[in-house]
Amino acid sequence: MSGVLLQNIVKAYGAAQVVHGINLTVQEKEFVVLVGPSGCGKSTTLRMIAGLEEITEGQLSIYGKVVNRIAPKDRDVAMVFQNYALYPHLNVADNMAFGLRIRKMPKPEIKQQIKNVAEILELTDYLERRPADLSGGQRQRVAMGRAIVRHPKVFLFDEPLSNLDAKLRTQMRAEIRRLHNRLGVTSIYVTHDQVEAMTLADRIVVMNDGRIEQVGTPMELFMNPANIFVAGFLGSPPMNQMPGTVTEKGVEIDGIIIAVSGNLSAQVGRKVIVGIRPEHVSLQKEKGTTALPINLDLVEPLGSEALLHAQFGAHQLVFKTETQGSIDHLSDVSEVYVHASMVKLFDAETGEALPL
Amino acid sequence: MQNWNLYSRGDKLFVRINAVLIGLFALSTLYPFIYIASVSFSSAFAARAGKVVLTPIDVTLSAYAHVLSEPQFWNSYGNTFIYTIGGTLTSLLIIIPGAYALSRPQLIGRRFWNLMIAFTMWFHAGMIPFWLNMRDLGLLDSMIGIIIAFACNAFNIILLRNFFESIPQSFEEAARMDGANEFQVLWKVFVPLSKPAIATITLFCVVARWNGFFWAMILLTDEGKVPLQVYLRQTIADLSDDEEFSSTLIDAAYSVETVTAAIIVCSIIPVLCFYPFIQKYFNKGIMLGGVKE
Ligand SMILES: Nc1ncnc2c1ncn2[C@@H]1O[C@H](COP(=O)(O)OP(=O)(O)O)[C@@H](O)[C@H]1O
Ligand SMILES: [Mg+2]
Repeated sequence: MSGVLLQNIVKAYGAAQVVHGINLTVQEKEFVVLVGPSGCGKSTTLRMIAGLEEITEGQLSIYGKVVNRIAPKDRDVAMVFQNYALYPHLNVADNMAFGLRIRKMPKPEIKQQIKNVAEILELTDYLERRPADLSGGQRQRVAMGRAIVRHPKVFLFDEPLSNLDAKLRTQMRAEIRRLHNRLGVTSIYVTHDQVEAMTLADRIVVMNDGRIEQVGTPMELFMNPANIFVAGFLGSPPMNQMPGTVTEKGVEIDGIIIAVSGNLSAQVGRKVIVGIRPEHVSLQKEKGTTALPINLDLVEPLGSEALLHAQFGAHQLVFKTETQGSIDHLSDVSEVYVHASMVKLFDAETGEALPL
Repeated sequence: MQNWNLYSRGDKLFVRINAVLIGLFALSTLYPFIYIASVSFSSAFAARAGKVVLTPIDVTLSAYAHVLSEPQFWNSYGNTFIYTIGGTLTSLLIIIPGAYALSRPQLIGRRFWNLMIAFTMWFHAGMIPFWLNMRDLGLLDSMIGIIIAFACNAFNIILLRNFFESIPQSFEEAARMDGANEFQVLWKVFVPLSKPAIATITLFCVVARWNGFFWAMILLTDEGKVPLQVYLRQTIADLSDDEEFSSTLIDAAYSVETVTAAIIVCSIIPVLCFYPFIQKYFNKGIMLGGVKE
């Protein structure tokens, strides 16, 4: 049985359609991340699953039950909000107990639940405090605690980390994933941050403009993006993109032919976008690689890695390479080598990946 | 004063002028209280001769002795409590759910209802139609009539509605996800979050009820039902009209002035006791920490 099943889900506000028929199956115990640029309909989709927004068209099922017309409280889902939405007038324990009290759980049981969850989230020392007296990370944990105590079938997260500073975000990200590994609750997580998506997800759903662009594991999406949008959205720095033409021997860019793996014979003459990820080049010539002559104009050290900004013909490209403790040897780089299997081709018109 | 030395000369002057103005204002609101209290403790002669300026002259409690020995004083005092407590509770019972409903985006015809409420602030039918209305409803000379006739106040509803509207939507959504129904969202989330606003409205209601005079005078004929303010007016009228009392004035232990002042002091005391109790709810920032902006 699937955990959450979306079939042709459409959302319209009046005449404006913002979600255009989404199909998605979230397996039981799976951690699925919806990622996409701001305004692409991620929150709207999540809120339809939560029951906070009506579904205009299509069918939504949670654990096999159609819930289109079921109130949020009867869907057995819990949600962590971007702004936490902790009740300011209640202390941490009462915030977590709120839902349990409304559901008339016996008092001793509530107490036990809160004790357990507080231990998991390391909130035991803060149970008496009001939200105003907590740090951002602690508030975030209380918000999660409030979801966890109820033992819902599905967790929904709407950008829960976006209000934290970078360091805390990394820390809480790992904590959320550990928690998922421990509790194994079906989770749907919305973010616009591709790093969060890559690190957290069992499967990523890339959305754009109210549609799903691609669904897959983080590595599938990274290595085989279905279109130029996904290719550009995932990965940092983003994939280098250059217009080119398919030839018998490879793809031609400004007179230079780059070897591409796969059978190109059917595609010869086709206008394409050539995509090369910054980290998919090497500085050593190896078998099966093509040399790209470049004019290096900037080296940015990041520590163990460095970014090379360079011109390749008329194109400004970025490459990522290891530093091996020093960047001195990078200053006179004049060629980088790209393996045929790492060159991605997308149709210049549609942006779809070419089947090779 | 923090960082006083960093203020420019102009700023310092501004602060000083402000302090003086605030001081004068405070004095001008405080002085009538002091004056009335002093008159109530002064002798009839001193009060009538206008000798009382700040402190009581020829201190005496005879005005209070007279006031507190009148059964009608106690009766009207009790009535005022009934009107104030009953009226305020009735008002809150109408205003809180009403304001909540009007603040919800999903209310059908929301703009229309809001307009209808606001309409009553600008246009009144007038005194006589209102009186006729009360008569036809059988609410003349009725304590219930006084309580319900003025229970619903558009200004207070709009005030609280605006406060409810400023509460982030995610609180309601979080409560809904937690399983709360409409009533629980209102009672367990919005009402606690709105304590400062509700305290303000409660204070408005209490003060309006406590000082309520005009309509009580118009609508009530039975002496046993009148509130303190109406009784106060009657007392002034009675004592002024009483020629015998006036002629013995030089020797009298109390006068219209001292008795009036004593009644006013008695009527102020409960409000003075009530205000500090409610003031603690006027703390801002209760929202802090609940949501991250
Ligand atoms: N209540 C609403 N009324 C009209 N349009 C809305 C409403 N809520 C969201 N939208 C629109 O729907 C689109 C998707 O919004 P949202 O799901 O919040 O995007 P995001 O992916 O950033 O979470 C946006 O273009 C937004 O303007
Ligand atoms: Mg969003």
